Amino acid sequence: MPLRVPPLPPLPFPHLRRFSSRYVAPRWRWYVAGTAAVLLTNWMAVRIPVELAFGLDALRAGDSQSPVTTAAVHIFALGAAIIVVRTASRLWFFTPARLAEFDLREDLFARLLRLQPDFYATHRTGDLLSRATTDITFARAFAGFATLQGANIVAALVTALGQMAAFSPLLTVITAIPVLLGFVVVRGGSAALMTIQRTTQKQQGLYADELLGALQGISTIQAFNVEGPFGERLAERARLLRDNNIQLARLRALVFPLFTVSGGIAVFMLLGVGGSMVVDGEMTAGQLAAFISLVTYLIIPLRLLGFLLPVFHRAETSLERIHEMFDAPVSRPELDAPPSTLGDPPRSGQPPAIVLKNLSFSFGAPEGSAPDVRGAAPVLRDVTVEIPAGTSLGVFGRSGSGKTTLLRLLARLENPPAGSITVDGVDLCAIDLDQWRARMVLVPQTAWLFSETIAENVAMGLQADLKQADLKQADLKQADLLPSAIADAALGPDLEALPHGLGTVVGERGIVLSGGQRQRVALARGLVYARSGLGAAPGRGAGKLLLFDDVLSAVDHHTEQLLIHTLLGSREDVRPTCVIVTHRMSALQHCDRVLVLDAGRAVQYGTHVELLAQPGIYRDAWDTQAGTT
Amino acid sequence: MSVKVAASGASPAGSLRSRWVALWPDLSPDLPRFLLAIGCVPLISAMGAAQPALMKRVLDGHVVPGVAEGLWGAACLYLATVLGSFAVEGVYTIALSVAAERTIYRLRQRIVTHTLGLSQRFFERQPTGQVLTRATSDVDALSEALSQGSISILLDVSNMGAVLLAMFWLDHSLTLALLALAPPLIAMIEFFRRRMRVLFTQVRDALAALNAFTAERLAGVEVLQLYRQEERTQARFCALDAAHRDANVKNNIYDAALYALIDGISSMCVGLMLYWGGRQLGVLGPGGDDVVSVGLVVAFVDYIDRLFRPLREFSSKVTFLQRAGASLEKIFWLLGVDQRITPGSVELPPSSPGRLVLRDVRFAYRSGGEEQDDILKGITLTVEPGEVVAVVGRTGSGKSTLVRLLARVHDGYRGSIEVDGVELREIAPASVRKAIGTVRQEVQLFTDSLYFNLTLGEPVDAARLNDALQLTNAQVLVDRHPDGIEQPIRERGANVSSGEGQILALARAMVRDPTIVILDEATASVDPLSERLLQEGIERVFARKTCLVIAHRLSTITRADRIVVLDAGRIIEVGTHPQLIALGGAYAALYEQGFEARTLPAG
Repeated sequence: MPLRVPPLPPLPFPHLRRFSSRYVAPRWRWYVAGTAAVLLTNWMAVRIPVELAFGLDALRAGDSQSPVTTAAVHIFALGAAIIVVRTASRLWFFTPARLAEFDLREDLFARLLRLQPDFYATHRTGDLLSRATTDITFARAFAGFATLQGANIVAALVTALGQMAAFSPLLTVITAIPVLLGFVVVRGGSAALMTIQRTTQKQQGLYADELLGALQGISTIQAFNVEGPFGERLAERARLLRDNNIQLARLRALVFPLFTVSGGIAVFMLLGVGGSMVVDGEMTAGQLAAFISLVTYLIIPLRLLGFLLPVFHRAETSLERIHEMFDAPVSRPELDAPPSTLGDPPRSGQPPAIVLKNLSFSFGAPEGSAPDVRGAAPVLRDVTVEIPAGTSLGVFGRSGSGKTTLLRLLARLENPPAGSITVDGVDLCAIDLDQWRARMVLVPQTAWLFSETIAENVAMGLQADLKQADLKQADLKQADLLPSAIADAALGPDLEALPHGLGTVVGERGIVLSGGQRQRVALARGLVYARSGLGAAPGRGAGKLLLFDDVLSAVDHHTEQLLIHTLLGSREDVRPTCVIVTHRMSALQHCDRVLVLDAGRAVQYGTHVELLAQPGIYRDAWDTQAGTT
Repeated sequence: MSVKVAASGASPAGSLRSRWVALWPDLSPDLPRFLLAIGCVPLISAMGAAQPALMKRVLDGHVVPGVAEGLWGAACLYLATVLGSFAVEGVYTIALSVAAERTIYRLRQRIVTHTLGLSQRFFERQPTGQVLTRATSDVDALSEALSQGSISILLDVSNMGAVLLAMFWLDHSLTLALLALAPPLIAMIEFFRRRMRVLFTQVRDALAALNAFTAERLAGVEVLQLYRQEERTQARFCALDAAHRDANVKNNIYDAALYALIDGISSMCVGLMLYWGGRQLGVLGPGGDDVVSVGLVVAFVDYIDRLFRPLREFSSKVTFLQRAGASLEKIFWLLGVDQRITPGSVELPPSSPGRLVLRDVRFAYRSGGEEQDDILKGITLTVEPGEVVAVVGRTGSGKSTLVRLLARVHDGYRGSIEVDGVELREIAPASVRKAIGTVRQEVQLFTDSLYFNLTLGEPVDAARLNDALQLTNAQVLVDRHPDGIEQPIRERGANVSSGEGQILALARAMVRDPTIVILDEATASVDPLSERLLQEGIERVFARKTCLVIAHRLSTITRADRIVVLDAGRIIEVGTHPQLIALGGAYAALYEQGFEARTLPAG
């Protein structure tokens, strides 16, 4: 029979170790210095009772004043030295912890910026935020507080226990019994505390989510006058949180003071047993006094030990949540050498030619997540269409027919099946994402603005010098792309109506602006992006693929007719490749070709005039919009 | 960022006190518990202060003179105080924590109830994240202060007082000598406290800025990625993070020094005491009764520890209190915000026909405290029961503002808006909801089931819900999912397209069967095919209702009984479609520009 080697148990705290090796270990010099300072502090702190014993016994002997004075001066000097060394020990542990926290946060944020929409679709923003904020503080508590206290406890145990044993081994054992018992009880209690604490944290998160949802939907709540039911929902959550916290407080009131009690029992034993020993002449009164203060000294770090284990556990779970983000696959190809077939857009100036071949796509419910409205049903089925370079395609179809998904696939916000989308003959999945994004622009259906000025939001589209942290005011003025993009996006009249024009701060998610204004700001941003950077002919988005998702709904019909020509680049020498999703047939008729989607299938394809000539969704809709049925 | 939070920084001590007083309504129901906790305080202090004295009795009465008899008895007395204070402290902690948690619960509710009633003007200016912080982190900070700050500082003061009394009783001259150290010590702690307060504000502000930035960028990460803003965003993040780190590192220095100072000085006191004992030895000679005894020194070492222990934790408790003070300031600033839609009290009769009359309605937005120019410049309009009125106009003509007023999102209009002869702002909220149903341009969905999103937590008649679903074709969305009406809606409606959202919003309004329906461009992003189905249902119901529609679609506009053309906040034309076309004015121009395309090809 082959000998079966039992698998080695995995080492505990894998995430703490991973974090430590990456962020803590490189700062070992700080910790070595800190540990030295901790050892020195404890050595000095233990010297004080020893000097005290010496001084007290000299005092009792009453022979001369000088040994008492010497001991007193020593104690005074030790106290003064402790101030300096203890400050240093704390700083040398806390500072590297802060530096580690900083690095981790920075890496995490960089990671979050790289993670793609498929990741964000399965994680709540609030939860991600709490990982980037709260969870990181627990990692820091481990790197700072826990390492310092760990070193402190070891140093205190070694120095104080050593000194106690030197005074009397018997008394040391007698004192250790109640203290150890106390420690065991507190250990068990703090495990129970941790369980409740985890529930509390979860409930705090749920409460915050619930409240955030209510605040974001506040105008609906008020319009429907359902403040009552919403208040009650929140009250229910708050009650759960409160009851859990009370349970936590009850347990805490029992568990932690037990340590003080065990210390008190130890002193009681010292007084009884040690007192008898002094009476019997086995030790001096000064030594007993020193013993008592050593026990008192030792109780404090031991009590901290009770706090320390939860810190380890909490940091481990927090780091697990953080590492999950580092380990989540970034669904974008990282290519060493981008294919040369893509050409050099700046020189060629040619817009891309797109071919969709048997494109099918489903969101595929991620494992473990609840099925949603879209579920795993295919959103696009077998779509085959060609978009030659420099032509425009209008996409038409009812809600949920897959129009937006088609644009998101082209923008690689979702990953198409390999080979189903090609750009100039190259598989879209094989193109470096950054390079691809430089050649295309998508103006999404829902405009997302940042709580900055309109100018800053629009200027975000400037592709020049993307490494620069802030666009200076001068850059904004020099950027002559902005005025034309703002004019083309029909944003001019809005700016005149706003109190500070381009300098208006749009508020969180652009709340200060109306829905249409937001959409127009986003459009201006997209136009600026299309007309700057790689592959752009001077001032125009010629060499690019432009994707517009329902942007025309933000403008009236008069503006629409002006805008459609701008978007399609009809008046340019070199036209961009353009895909426009819209319900407005008055705009669709200007597109070179129109694709009609129904339940994910391409049901009609052709020019506007061709589609009107055949029976189908398109002609039905035309009749409806024209108001002739 | 131009968002203004409550003025922080220089705040007189009086206002801090008044803020704690403002907490009284939440505190008072648990007053007995708080009083019980306070009642435990002297007991705890007395037993604590007795312990070193009892220790001294064992040492000086039995150990040093060598009297074994009664040694254990005296030691047991010591043990009794240890166990006794454990019991009383247990009562104290539980009473205090329960009272604090219950107080916090009430405060949370007060904040939520208040906030849900604030007007849209407030929310336009205040990021939701900040409001969220008030009811979460700020309340948590207060909870910490209540259970670990305020009364525990009282306990500390009481403990220190009891310890000082016991010290005086044991040896007043030694106590006085040690007390000489107090003034410089207090001055030092005060210096640190002030310094750390400033630094703490810096740390807090840096963290708030960092978190706000992170939250917004994460929520908008898709746009950042589309526009290749990763590096630029990362650079800005690092700058904020570095500011946060530096503030903390600086704060750490003071924190570490204060901790170590108190620790070191308590040791130095022991040295001083021994020195004092040695000096007396010289004065009084050997064997004298007044020589500082072993028991006295041991007791005083313990007393000094008991005096300094609270001081050592004082900085963290003060931090709790300061954090709570800052939080309280912000919480009560929020609670003090008076931008509310004042609810009316007039009930409309159940069979109210729904006649909407606007007389000379004027409205201006406010920005930075200044009244802007009027957006609506005197709107006079009557919508008869059952009538469908379409409002058209260019961007910025005031259409959306009109809807906001009717939906009671904004208050403070001039002129009058009457529903069946009653001024809108005087109608009771429940009555308003019964009378007016609104479908806003933007659909807000909640992370819950589809059912919840339709009922919004209110009990709803099943038959009426079913009617509304059929009517608006929301039934199609229900049937599409295996979980039907219980299907989950993801965060911010991530799994609902804008067209589907519109259908849900319409169904939501119809579930309540209002008399008057206000539609704000609700059909704008519904595709024409769904829209046709939707409008069939809408027309069936709206035939009996008063209806005000803002739409760009010709099909909607032409079906209206009357069309009102808004321009720059004024009504410039009123009439039916053929009338207005014949008039050849602004509407005709809009029509020509907007729908000219349709006349081109022959279908």
